[in-house]
Amino acid sequence: MLDATLTALADPTRRAILGRLAQGEARVTEIARPFAISLNSVSKHIRMLERGQLVRRRREGREHILALNPAGLDEAGRWIEDQRALWAWRLGELDTILKDPTDG
Amino acid sequence: MAELHVVHNYAAAPEQVFDAFLDPAIARRFLFATPTGEMIRAEVDARVGGKFTFVDRRPDMGPNGGDVLHTGEYLEIDRPRRLAFTFGVPQFRAEFSTVTLDFAPAPGGGCELTLTQSDVAEEWADRSKEGWGMILGALERALN
Repeated sequence: MLDATLTALADPTRRAILGRLAQGEARVTEIARPFAISLNSVSKHIRMLERGQLVRRRREGREHILALNPAGLDEAGRWIEDQRALWAWRLGELDTILKDPTDG
Repeated sequence: MAELHVVHNYAAAPEQVFDAFLDPAIARRFLFATPTGEMIRAEVDARVGGKFTFVDRRPDMGPNGGDVLHTGEYLEIDRPRRLAFTFGVPQFRAEFSTVTLDFAPAPGGGCELTLTQSDVAEEWADRSKEGWGMILGALERALN
C-alpha cells in the first residue's frame, strides 16, 4: 500500500488534484477543469490516487464525488518521517567517524 | 510531498565527506547502517551506472535476526559537489528511491551536506532513458 501511496504522490498533476481536494470535495469534472489534459487522463490520475488510498469516491446519483483521505496521507507522512530520522542518524554517525577515523 | 531533506554540517572538507560515501570501509559504518544492525557486506562500484550492495544484519528482525539488503545504482558522481544514486530495500518496498547528496563548502573549511530522498524520480527517468528510466517506466506501466 505504501508503494501505491508514494507513487500516487510523486506526480505533480496528482499533487495538484490533492491540493484541490484539500479545499473540499469535488466532482471529477470540476477537478479536471483546470488541467490541460483529457478527462480520461485525469480519471487515470484519480484512480492512482484511490489506489494509494489518498482519495475516496462516493456516488450521488450519477455524480462521482471525490474527497481527500487524510489517513492515507498520514501513513505516507509517517514513513517519510521515519526515513528522515534514519538519515539524520546516519549523517550524525559520519560526523563521529570523520572526527575520529581510527575508532570503530 | 514524497521528498525529504536532511542537512548536516561537518568540520571536514567537502572532498573528505564526499569520499566517505564511496569508500566501503567508511561507508559500511554509517551509510545504510541502523542503530542496532551490523553491516556484514559493503560493496561499491563507484562509477555512473555502477551498483552498490550493503547488507545490514539486524538482531531485531525475527528470532535469529535478519539480513537486510540495500542496493542501488550511481546516477551522478561529481566530486566533491554532488553524488546521486538510486536506493532500494527490496524486501520492504518494491520501488526505489533516489538519494541526492549536495556538498557545499562551509565557512572555516567545513562542508554543508544536504541529503534529498525523492520517491519517484521522474526527473531522472527523463534524463536517462535507459537503465533506471526503463525500470521506472515499467513500474509506471505496471501500476497504470
